[in-house]
Amino acid sequence: MKAFAYATAHSTDSARELAADRGAYLAGGNDLLGLLKEYLISADTLVNIKSLPGLDKIQRGDKAWTFGALVTVAEIEHNQEIAKTFPGLHDAASEIASPQIRNVATVGGNLAQHSRCWYFRHRDTVCLKKHGDLCYARAGENRYHSLFTGNDCISPVVSSLATTFAALDATAIVLRDGKETPMSMADLYQKAWTEVTAHNSLNPGDLIVRVEVPTARSRSAYLQVSDKHTFDWALVSCAAAANVVDGKLSQPRVALGSISPMPHQVQAANDFLDGKTLDDATIAQATDLILKGAQPQEHNAYKVPMAQALIRRTLLKLKG
Amino acid sequence: MSNWPSETKYISQSTTRLDGPAKATGRARYSSDIQAEGWLYGMILRSKWPAAKILSVNLDKALKVPGIKAAVVVKDGEFNVRFYGEEIAAVAGTSKQACLDALQAIEVQAEPRHEFVVSEDEARKDNSPQVWDGTPNAPAPRVRETGNVDGAFPECAAVIEGFYTTPVQIHNPMETHGNTVSWTDDGVTAWASTQGITSVRDGLAGALKLDHDHVRVITDFMGGGFGAKFGAGVEGVLAAKLSQQAKAPVRLMLTRFDQALAVGNRPSSFQKIKMGCLADGTLHAFEMDAYGTAGIGAGGDSGGGGGGANIPAPYLYKVPNSRVKQTSVAVNAGSSRAFRAPGNPPASFGMESAMDDLAVKLGMDPVEFRLKNDPSEIRQREYKVGAEKFGWKDKYQKPGSSPGVVKTGVGCAGAAWPAGGANKRTQGEAQINSDGTIEFRLGVQDIGTGTKTVIAVVAAEILGLTPDQITVHVGDTRYPPGPGSGGSTTCASISPTVYDICTKALEQLQTQSGIADARGKNWHAACKKLGVTPLTVHGQWQPGMSADHACGVQFAEVDVDTETGLVTVKKVVGVHDCGLIIDKLTLESQINGGIIMGMGYALYEERVMDDLSGVVLNPNFETYKMPGIADVPEIEVILINMPERGVIGIGEPATVPIAGAIANAIANAIGVRVASLPITPAKVLAALGKLPAPATT
Repeated sequence: MKAFAYATAHSTDSARELAADRGAYLAGGNDLLGLLKEYLISADTLVNIKSLPGLDKIQRGDKAWTFGALVTVAEIEHNQEIAKTFPGLHDAASEIASPQIRNVATVGGNLAQHSRCWYFRHRDTVCLKKHGDLCYARAGENRYHSLFTGNDCISPVVSSLATTFAALDATAIVLRDGKETPMSMADLYQKAWTEVTAHNSLNPGDLIVRVEVPTARSRSAYLQVSDKHTFDWALVSCAAAANVVDGKLSQPRVALGSISPMPHQVQAANDFLDGKTLDDATIAQATDLILKGAQPQEHNAYKVPMAQALIRRTLLKLKG
Repeated sequence: MSNWPSETKYISQSTTRLDGPAKATGRARYSSDIQAEGWLYGMILRSKWPAAKILSVNLDKALKVPGIKAAVVVKDGEFNVRFYGEEIAAVAGTSKQACLDALQAIEVQAEPRHEFVVSEDEARKDNSPQVWDGTPNAPAPRVRETGNVDGAFPECAAVIEGFYTTPVQIHNPMETHGNTVSWTDDGVTAWASTQGITSVRDGLAGALKLDHDHVRVITDFMGGGFGAKFGAGVEGVLAAKLSQQAKAPVRLMLTRFDQALAVGNRPSSFQKIKMGCLADGTLHAFEMDAYGTAGIGAGGDSGGGGGGANIPAPYLYKVPNSRVKQTSVAVNAGSSRAFRAPGNPPASFGMESAMDDLAVKLGMDPVEFRLKNDPSEIRQREYKVGAEKFGWKDKYQKPGSSPGVVKTGVGCAGAAWPAGGANKRTQGEAQINSDGTIEFRLGVQDIGTGTKTVIAVVAAEILGLTPDQITVHVGDTRYPPGPGSGGSTTCASISPTVYDICTKALEQLQTQSGIADARGKNWHAACKKLGVTPLTVHGQWQPGMSADHACGVQFAEVDVDTETGLVTVKKVVGVHDCGLIIDKLTLESQINGGIIMGMGYALYEERVMDDLSGVVLNPNFETYKMPGIADVPEIEVILINMPERGVIGIGEPATVPIAGAIANAIANAIGVRVASLPITPAKVLAALGKLPAPATT
């Protein structure tokens, strides 16, 4: 990696100032250090944000819970109250990477992580995302890539927390130009949908400070399938949240990960499911709505049946 | 036939690994832990091009990087590189970061060749770019024919055809390849992570133009080799040259990225098989047309030892009418190297898959079908023992008949390791001190398999002592020469050698001390009579105490989720023989490890290369996937002890059959064959016909 300065910030203002134009925020460091070591990015200053006051707290509220950006994935996994209130979030957290990584990985870092596309991550390929001329994956090895995209890059978002937060209709609070800017999960990844070089909608210097998760939906669920049984990325992941009254869904939301540059959500499917009882036909119709327009590449068509199965199983899990 | 004692206290029992505590506490110093005084880090600059002519390499700027003490080029003048990752130059410096900076500062002038090929199927085409100019990538196939194949197929009651493929498997031992090398006026000392201290010594001496007696190789502890660590490697020679220039020891251990490119690998295989049997199940006709790649190192076959792309076929079975065509396809990728039972796992997967396909077609139970056709009496016995223990008769159902979404299936497959045997020139010595301590010195190395413990177990048995009373020194070319640890030969080489040392030592000790039986309780009294001069005894391998040809069979039970494609291996039973068992515990560990390694081959591992850029896309453990503990099932190992055969090694056969057994279990579960390793969820869903047609653009 290239040389950098190191500084510890004790307030969000100083963090922003220390990062300036060419700095990077360091929390768990799982993604950042990999990017630096492979020379995929460079930073003048690494700003340690782990000492920012209050950002490691989980606050319970009546209408929403607040997760500070420095809350670790392990904390979400092990907190029994979260497992009761947001079972989907708990399940998503416990599938992320390995226990060692979960112990240091943070909510903010999980949301802000960059593409895992193996062309992007390779030190000697210059793909579109790295300002090259070509998406190698489109003509090449695209088994792990997207079914949907709004641009020429087909690398998907892989944040399992983002998938689940999307289903829970959570809002990330981003400190931008000194102001707190609320962003839905769709907002947070919108730019990755439209711009080939973007991993998310964050601008340089933007800092995720917390995520607010509404308690409006009493049920949530998360499932993923990977090649291996643990410590592996999801090939497809699915999260769903809703209230269930007399067997009928209300305010349902379904989101999928690893098939699009943003958590894949289809409003028409959520609308369709609202007020419905979950039977096979309803689930099949919702699934069709969610996966309509999927564009499999040469090697990732398996993600379609896998997503179909996961949507059905996640919804059934929601029903309980 | 053998002189091995019939009543034993330690042999064939379980003794915990002598160096277990040292390894568990980190006290054991591996080659990658060596910190010779004033040592430097070494690192290699690799080609960014899959094919290029290197015109010049300028090291001036690299040498000016703070902390850099040496820099060398792999070859002088112009030279060609033929795969992404081929070595170009190396640097040594006081920190990893200094080396990384120096690698960036090296100026390479090159003419990249835009024509290259990394896929086997592309490389076979007539108009393919040639990896070696003027030489076809795929030479005309070698054909072996017996009987009358074309006449035999019409006589068959059932015939199947299949196309079974296996990927390139990358060598990823726990400890990466590498050495610490110190080159002074007195000669070279190399702390090598190697399976063969002697072969490394001779290789380094040759490459550096030194006398053999001026090179010393030390391997106190090492973290696995699996066939890829017999030589010093390009990295060892570079480390030595850097050490000479820097006048300091250089530690050059490869990274996982390096491992994916240039330390050898298991060749791929593409096996088109047609096979038929008579109505009673007797195999009658076999035809195979196969190719695979050994990277740039195509051509040279081994089918057993050296790691070429050819495989033994029809593997375990005798088919009276057989035609086998094989060729090796060169591509622009790192060359292959021996890999735990070279040739056998791909051969087993292809043949055992075909066996099950044919059994199903004929309507015969797969175990019965094997009992009908397997010529090995030992495996016959093992199939019977294993089937009983596994509950085969209750578990085996018609393919695809398991109810529900998650389907259960069972499969089996057999192993052979026809190589093996012993290195007959193995030697060693023991020194007995007057206080009763005894030190063994053998120029073998313990690559993690328990070699030191085997020496202690045999010595304790013969001398009437306990294994912890035996001090074992191995891994130094200053000791009497031992075998390379490969081909499952180590145990069969050293056990008779230690036996010989011990029997001679006892004789001499008894003569010198006047005590008629110096063993056990008399040991200390006898040793005390030695006085100030210890007794030193030299011994060597003796015939009649070891053998070759280990067999083995394995059974697997799997769950397959037919909606997500996920395979879960629930249970494995391995029945293995290796003659006289020396240490049951380390033997079982070898088999557990072999099964887990083979599971990686079956379900997860695959080198993925990109046609357009020529790079390896998964040079890391993130996307080069290997079994983790959550993937590993209950493994039951059943050992058949055959003292009458003498000692045989187990390393290779343990890993051979599991991929075939798992593949057969999956086919049994879902009723269709996934004929391509690794069997990923994507391939299972494809085999089940669940994929939508690819988008047309």
